[in-house]
Amino acid sequence: MLQGLTELGQQLLGFLTIRYIFDILWSTQLGIIVGMLPGLTATMGVALMTTLTYKFTTDHAVLILICMYIGAIFGGSRTAILINIPGTPANAATTVDGYPLARQGRAGEAMGIATTGSFLGSLFGMVMLAVFTPIIGNAALNFYSFEYFWLTIFGIIICGTLTAPKDPLKGWIAGFFGLFVATIGMEGMHAYRRFTFGNIDLGGGIALLPAMIGVFGFSEVLITMKQPAIKIVSRKIEKVIPHPREILKYWSTIIRSGFIGTVIGAIPGVGEDIGAWVSYDFAKKASKQPEEYGKGSIEGVLAAETGNNAAVAGAIIPVLSLGIPGSAPAAVLLGAMIIHGIRPGPLLMIEHPDFVIQVVAMFFLATCAMFILGLMLIRVFIKILLIPRQRLMPVIFSLCVIGAYALSSRIFDIWVMAVFGLIGYVMKEMDYPVAPAVLGIILGDLLDKNLRRSLILTKGNIIPLFTRPISFILVLLIVFTIVSRMKFFEQTTSFFKNRLRLLLRGRVH
Amino acid sequence: MKPKNMDKADFITSIFLVIFGLVIFLISIRMPTFRNLGANLYSAPGIVPTMLGLIIFILGMTLFFRSVARKGYKIDYSLNSIKKILIKRPIQRFLIALFLSLSSVFLLGKVDYFLLTGGYIFIFILAYELDIKKSILKQKAKIVFSLAEAILIAGSIALVFRYLFLVRLP
Repeated sequence: MLQGLTELGQQLLGFLTIRYIFDILWSTQLGIIVGMLPGLTATMGVALMTTLTYKFTTDHAVLILICMYIGAIFGGSRTAILINIPGTPANAATTVDGYPLARQGRAGEAMGIATTGSFLGSLFGMVMLAVFTPIIGNAALNFYSFEYFWLTIFGIIICGTLTAPKDPLKGWIAGFFGLFVATIGMEGMHAYRRFTFGNIDLGGGIALLPAMIGVFGFSEVLITMKQPAIKIVSRKIEKVIPHPREILKYWSTIIRSGFIGTVIGAIPGVGEDIGAWVSYDFAKKASKQPEEYGKGSIEGVLAAETGNNAAVAGAIIPVLSLGIPGSAPAAVLLGAMIIHGIRPGPLLMIEHPDFVIQVVAMFFLATCAMFILGLMLIRVFIKILLIPRQRLMPVIFSLCVIGAYALSSRIFDIWVMAVFGLIGYVMKEMDYPVAPAVLGIILGDLLDKNLRRSLILTKGNIIPLFTRPISFILVLLIVFTIVSRMKFFEQTTSFFKNRLRLLLRGRVH
Repeated sequence: MKPKNMDKADFITSIFLVIFGLVIFLISIRMPTFRNLGANLYSAPGIVPTMLGLIIFILGMTLFFRSVARKGYKIDYSLNSIKKILIKRPIQRFLIALFLSLSSVFLLGKVDYFLLTGGYIFIFILAYELDIKKSILKQKAKIVFSLAEAILIAGSIALVFRYLFLVRLP
């Protein structure tokens, strides 16, 4: 413990140079602005920033990306409170109580609470990141091809289920579509070109970053231009910094939301938005004043913002320990780490023993920067929301184009971005979540290699795929996740619940 | 999208998914196994795509039966209904953005990057801000401001990427 703290202190000291501090401040502020603007998401911000930082040193680039990530997830709360539109999907739960507070003339108070919640959630998540990454990483050293295969399928199924709660079938379709996209191009064992139809560019496969920039960038440009213009309900910002007593009153909500946010964030592909909603829901159920929820509850804003920022750290835990992203922005972060020569996964602790603690230090600095900038510059940066979308969106698209092109200098990647932008647009319009598709593109290679390796090891016998202990647990979880969303299961459980309730009331003998 | 329209959209998507899954499956099972080169049968490149093709086919069929049960097959595809959709303001706004953006991608590499990006931003802003009922002279300020923004943004992006990030511009 003491050794860990000493290492963390050393890493923090290493970052306390003027150059690093300057980079922390501008990238966090840029993240807040990206998060604030509807149509710009954290994923898009991190993806575009990856292309801008790919010539930087590893620690420098990862630091800037983490600052951008944390800043963007927090920044979305501004728009959620002021215009009832979440700046990023992660802030959707914040609108429920944030906007009513703004309409009551308490926008400043709501933003102060949201900032504090985000800060505390990030800190909570950071502690979990420091504690659990090495533990999960060590446990993952026992994973073989069989387990990795099922882990990939589990990631797709759980991500599809949680990101499309109304219609998980669409979430699963999106996930398996993503896995298919990953099989396009030259495969790793025989260098055979799959689904390229003679196209040389397709031989290299679909690059993750252009596809992500398209899905999260170009599609958002199209959606934003389609929607009617937005109006700010309140530009009057008064009290911002909350009294510590106001925060301490909700200590149990903060701890609960921090824990839930981190755990949800750590589930592959699920992300900050679900973390915020689940935290909000639990807070409402446990609240002494549940009737205030939806009408402007301070506790509601605090729960949602603590949950989504804790999920940021949670999403990084599987990135570092398993090489599997917990959310879409974390997926880009994973890609950026690979570009910079870091191979996240169980071997990370062996190959780069200091990296995890370095990430924790970066996380701490980004969190502090977010808190300071979030409280100080509310009034100044609120004016950015006044930029008309028709002036902002062409700039975003131009950045998407150059961002997709910059990594490999291929026009083909710009077309990939455009095509995936259209696919993303259609998916969003038809209620297909895009996160499982992106997770599929990332995990496709892992699934492909590990299934074939498993079959080679077992000489085509599929029984060991089901009988190894960890595999068996994963199979059970997958089956349960699928079956639990089926109608007959819901009907059966509600029937037994009703019987049990009646039994407890003594009506059934 | 309204639930009724969603069922219709699901019906069309499901047919696409069923065909898509089948095509993946059929292409994948024809992939070489490289056994003639002494490779292990289970390292064949078609194994995973075959499995994915089958899964997409099954999921597509599930969506198909569900949309049929919800009467999603009752699709009105007359010229009038398409016209009705096209005259909607959000659809027009979407189509303008799509057309301008795809045109700029198409022209990349054929026109100078600075000119293309500047032109794209300028036309994009004017397409949404210019009122065709008013005279151009009365909207001078808008045009000048849009042009200035276009030059500034396109110039900044070109300079930053060319000289700071050393990217050879398309």
